[in-house]
Amino acid sequence: MDDLTLNEKRLLVALAPRGRADADTLAGALGTSEEAVVQYAHLCADRGLVTVERTVTKTYALTPEGEEYRRSGLPERQMLEQIGGGIPMKDLQALPLSRIGIGWLRKKGWIAIKNGVAETCGAAPPGDDEIALAAPREGMPGIPDLLRRNLAVEVEEAAYLIAITPAGTALVEPGLDLREEIGTLTRDQILSGSWRTANLRRYSLQTPPKRIYPGKSHPYQRIIDEVKRILQDMGFAEMRGEIVLSAFWDFDALFQPQDHPAREMQDTFYLDRTESLPAGWEGVRDMHEHGGATSSTGWGGVWDAAKAKQCVLRTHTTPLSLRYLIENPWPPVKAFALGQVYRREAIDPTHQPGFEQLEGIVMDEDVTFRHLLGYLREFYQRMGFANVRFRPGYFPYTEPSVEPEVRVDGLGWVELGGAGVFREEVTAPWGIEAPVLAWGLGISRVGMLKLGLKDLRQLYRSDIDWIRETPVIGKGE
Amino acid sequence: MAIIRLNYEYLERLTGTDRQTIIERLPMIGSDIERTFEDHVDVEFFPSRVDLYSTEGVARAMRGFLGIEEGLPAYPVTPSGIAFSVDPALAEIRPYLASAVIRNVRLDEAGIESLMGLQESLHWALGRGRRKVAIGVHDMDAVRPPFRYLASPRDRRFVPLDFTEDLSMEEILADHPKGRDYAHLVENFDRFPLIVDAEDRVLSFPPIINGELTRVTTETRNILLDCTGTDDRAVQMAAKIICTALAGAGATIESVSIDGVACPDLSPAERIVSPVDCARLLGLDLDAATMAALLRKMRFGAEPLPDGRVRVLVPPYRADIMHDRDLFEDVAVAYGYDHFDAVLPGTSTTGREHPISALERTVRTIFTGLGYLEVLPFTLTSGKVLYERMGRPPSPDVLPVAKPITEDQSVVRTHILPLLMETLEINRHRELPQRIFAAGDVIRGETTMQTVAAVSIHAAADFSEAYAAMDALCRELGLSPGFAESADPAFIDGRRGDVVVNGTIVGVFGEIHPEVLAAFSLEHPVAALELDLTAVPGYPVRPDTP
Repeated sequence: MDDLTLNEKRLLVALAPRGRADADTLAGALGTSEEAVVQYAHLCADRGLVTVERTVTKTYALTPEGEEYRRSGLPERQMLEQIGGGIPMKDLQALPLSRIGIGWLRKKGWIAIKNGVAETCGAAPPGDDEIALAAPREGMPGIPDLLRRNLAVEVEEAAYLIAITPAGTALVEPGLDLREEIGTLTRDQILSGSWRTANLRRYSLQTPPKRIYPGKSHPYQRIIDEVKRILQDMGFAEMRGEIVLSAFWDFDALFQPQDHPAREMQDTFYLDRTESLPAGWEGVRDMHEHGGATSSTGWGGVWDAAKAKQCVLRTHTTPLSLRYLIENPWPPVKAFALGQVYRREAIDPTHQPGFEQLEGIVMDEDVTFRHLLGYLREFYQRMGFANVRFRPGYFPYTEPSVEPEVRVDGLGWVELGGAGVFREEVTAPWGIEAPVLAWGLGISRVGMLKLGLKDLRQLYRSDIDWIRETPVIGKGE
Repeated sequence: MAIIRLNYEYLERLTGTDRQTIIERLPMIGSDIERTFEDHVDVEFFPSRVDLYSTEGVARAMRGFLGIEEGLPAYPVTPSGIAFSVDPALAEIRPYLASAVIRNVRLDEAGIESLMGLQESLHWALGRGRRKVAIGVHDMDAVRPPFRYLASPRDRRFVPLDFTEDLSMEEILADHPKGRDYAHLVENFDRFPLIVDAEDRVLSFPPIINGELTRVTTETRNILLDCTGTDDRAVQMAAKIICTALAGAGATIESVSIDGVACPDLSPAERIVSPVDCARLLGLDLDAATMAALLRKMRFGAEPLPDGRVRVLVPPYRADIMHDRDLFEDVAVAYGYDHFDAVLPGTSTTGREHPISALERTVRTIFTGLGYLEVLPFTLTSGKVLYERMGRPPSPDVLPVAKPITEDQSVVRTHILPLLMETLEINRHRELPQRIFAAGDVIRGETTMQTVAAVSIHAAADFSEAYAAMDALCRELGLSPGFAESADPAFIDGRRGDVVVNGTIVGVFGEIHPEVLAAFSLEHPVAALELDLTAVPGYPVRPDTP
């Protein structure tokens, strides 16, 4: 009971000699409001020191209209007195209060109307409503009529009877410290040393604190950061680049045939811009048309430069890899990119027209397909996917190609990305001779798996409460 | 990708083993089991492996992969003596034709289903929606050779498949379901492609629809094949794939003389490859004999040569073998992806964060330190959000996408601040104060660059808060800009500032205009800022551009 507030103590001290008292009385004794007393009493009641009994009494207050009729009589009573024995209807209608009174006169059976003349019907003793109107009290039979006619309103009055319990008495008997309590320490109290004698309020651990939230990065950004850190730990340098690319870089240079369905407006966001072809484009054209100087046959047909000049929002991050290799042609090269890519897909729980793609490349003299599988296994395991398996895959710019799958509890084997060794048709036009291992995967999919989301849209819609409540630790690791 | 329906009984009969064995190993030749049913399984194959688009083709591959029958399948072709002529007037319309006579066909319902499925998948994968190739199969016993492929007047009439009355070719384009689907391929030509027999009866109106006359049924014993199109390589390949699939089901193939040239040519292509190159690519220890054996499992003809290399005969249906590498991949598949010993190489490199990413990370540290929450608004948005609701004039730098899916995602963001306003709108029923920020790519003109924006909404948000936040951001980034009165209409006049570096405005901050608040359904003041990260000292100049 050490954490009783000063107000609670004062209430107990005031209550103890009385045993029981109503809140109004205690308010007078403590020099505070009744509401405050009730509040302190409830706090004490939670500790079992007092009991609080709430009684409700209903009283009735007359409305201004009701007050008027209490003095002058109900409209029908006033009219009845003016009618005498009988009166033509038109005269009756001309009386003040007739709008309200005539209905009631008829309803109460005080008048009958014959041949346009209203006649009274004998004695009209005061009704229940009139008795209640004179002095309304709970339980009177006329009360409901008054309420219906909006002549009176119900007023609930709560009274609180507070009684001290034996536990409360036991606490008060040895005496309570009634010195002023101090909440927040002031500078003066600290400097003067008065805190030594002050009565510092004790705080309860049972009262939960107000929830506050730190500023923090987005849960999905933390996963992205984790992925990047893994790749940097594995010795990969980060690449970044343009989002707007010519189809030449996005498709042609990666040996995507010009009539490939993925290149159509249906699947790719085209822009109303063109970009001139870079030096060395002829090698790419030759590769498409006949395989250049390699053992490839190429796709055949005629390669159309105009198609290659059209600008698109990049559909994958692989063009970044190729451009990076052209700039850094000497092995070894290990690089990665993690950036947004765009596909013309309608929005649904698993599709967005844009998502984050991770791309990793390794170029070195003697790296092989086996090493690619080694990198994939290492990467996925560091991402927290202990079980990894490999299936044959197909991508236009890699050969051999592989589809890694990871085991996810509750989902089984989940395909997560694609990989392969860059085709010679991709590397030869730029004089890249060492093998290039490459892989990519959609990070938004990883984000959904890690954050337990069913709907991709939650990642970008940014519900502030979700960000506030998602702990910094535990996600993305 | 193509989904192929494999009927279990038919597949077991053609493969010569039970369905469990087949289904279990099928993914390891490169496929996804989509769904299994009582009597069939739907399997997805890669667009490069058009030879697997039929039950017959899958059975052929699995016989090799499971060791039941290895090496090159033989496809003897004898001349049928039947002639087919091509009208030179087709040169501008649909010039290429391949054909064959396929005899002793015994197709049950499953066989017909497989053939129709193969045709449809080839129309998609090789034909690119029938433009490059369209395939027709005909009951040859209903017509009489020789056949003619010609450019016909558009009013020629015949009874198309699934119809009982004759229609003109123009009517077919307007009224037949297939006519409507594919009219765009021919409707601009004065004359239409047509195949007729010796008695001028119509077999087909390629690439639209066959005649009802030559419908293929379970009673059909002899098939005449036509493949027409705009790409000779694809046309020839389609004919080879159909012929070899039906040969796999027991039919015999006869050639047709197309203007004197025998078709189809089912002879294998030859490639001489090096086991050393293959081993170097795959990281396997391979000699010529092992490599040849693995290739035979994938149904290639393969023999070691005295010089240590391997002579490979590529079956006519393998459209995907363009390069020696493609053979090496098949060696890897035959070896089994699950048998590779995955190892890391000794390549030694150092990891490195891109300077722009490091800058973004710094910005995140600053704002989270100031108590802001990060949000990740999407990069595609609308002019309405970027400009109209912000009370700003449209930027000349905005980049609209050509065919947006929705108006809400019709342009790439040039600024991030409007998207934060939208995020506040979405969260307007959440507890205040809300302080959020976002940093990342924007596109101005065609150039990708980065900005950071932040907003704070609560009852006491004001200009001073925005100014203090921008001041703190600049100080922490080592930027010493000038601050000047701004004219940005998204903010209240007299409560807005521009960030100026070397005479250029690189940022803006202040108290959001009440009209803008109303446009985003917000009921409290908002302190806001946005800064171009390109202005930060050390920002790299146009990175990674060859």
